[in-house]
Amino acid sequence: MTRSRILQPLRQSIARPLAQPSRNAFSGSVVARRSMASVDDSAPSEAAKPEEIPPPAALLLQPEFNHLTGKTDEGAVRLPRAVQSLYLQPLRREQTYGVPTCDLQLRSYSVPNLEFFCDFALRAAYYLNLPAFGPVPLPKITERWTVPKSHFIFKKSQENWERITRRRLIQIRDGHPETVQIWLAFLQKHAYYGIGMKANVWEYSKLDVAGQLDGNAKSMQEIVEAKMMQHLGRDKTAGTVQKVQELLESERFRHQ
Amino acid sequence: MSMFRSKKLDIGSFLNIKVIRDHTKRKVFAQYEPERQALRYIIQNTTLPAKTRAEAQLQLTQMHCYTRPTQIRGRCLLGGKGRGIFRDFRLSRYNFRMQALEGNLPGVQKASW
Repeated sequence: MTRSRILQPLRQSIARPLAQPSRNAFSGSVVARRSMASVDDSAPSEAAKPEEIPPPAALLLQPEFNHLTGKTDEGAVRLPRAVQSLYLQPLRREQTYGVPTCDLQLRSYSVPNLEFFCDFALRAAYYLNLPAFGPVPLPKITERWTVPKSHFIFKKSQENWERITRRRLIQIRDGHPETVQIWLAFLQKHAYYGIGMKANVWEYSKLDVAGQLDGNAKSMQEIVEAKMMQHLGRDKTAGTVQKVQELLESERFRHQ
Repeated sequence: MSMFRSKKLDIGSFLNIKVIRDHTKRKVFAQYEPERQALRYIIQNTTLPAKTRAEAQLQLTQMHCYTRPTQIRGRCLLGGKGRGIFRDFRLSRYNFRMQALEGNLPGVQKASW
């Protein structure tokens, strides 16, 4: 691989059309196509196979121009498609029904990191066959602090500090709940420094949800309790009930 | 109070007696919280006999002052100061400025608008 090959394909050098109708040219799917509709097994799989559309011009064989010798390298072998696609806008799957299943919010203090990770998340969603939308820039959170530069009496000279949290929203529509979980786990595994993630996940099920929950109640009891102890019920102090009983049975309370 | 204080040093921040005292108060409060809550519950429960509730009131007032949440005060991690603490960073305004100038606080930068 020549030097120019590595240096040349900068993001800016290739046109990145913002709104391209369909770029389903690559069918490098890892997970079989599933959507929210396929949760119900009886439903016929609506998933249409990605149509064969010729790849965009940017991905076609481009003879390399060697900047050192000033010649075009005719015998060059092109980069693999998957690598080429890294220099283009992330590919996206088409939505079928448009039912939102997951809202992922990414937060960071630095824009480049955030943009990079959004890009990564979108690509991961593409290869998992998840229709992803975004990144939607949400309002910035600006926190400001003003501190005196010096001692108390020199109140006149102060300094302003700020911390701006940038937020991006990526929405997954029509995703199979398991695939969405895989996607989230993958993002968590490859979490980037300085980026916080928060996901709201929605699941849709059949009409008899209550019956199903009752059926699962026994087996889920332990897991639920463990989670409750960890994350919920923090407004109540643990052990209060036992303590009340203990107090009411104690000497001082009984001899009245 | 020294009776609550741990025999071995169990904090790693800036040290002076006020910091140690505050740390002790936090631990004592956490330890006695169920008891306080239980007494408060008995006091507020109108279905219990009046005598019981009065007794609970007495007991609550007789508890050590270290078990009260109001005794806890935010103190600077780097200087032990008790006033002008930013909750977000747990630092006093001076130490906050020093750390921010050094770039130790992620995302904090000089603002101008």
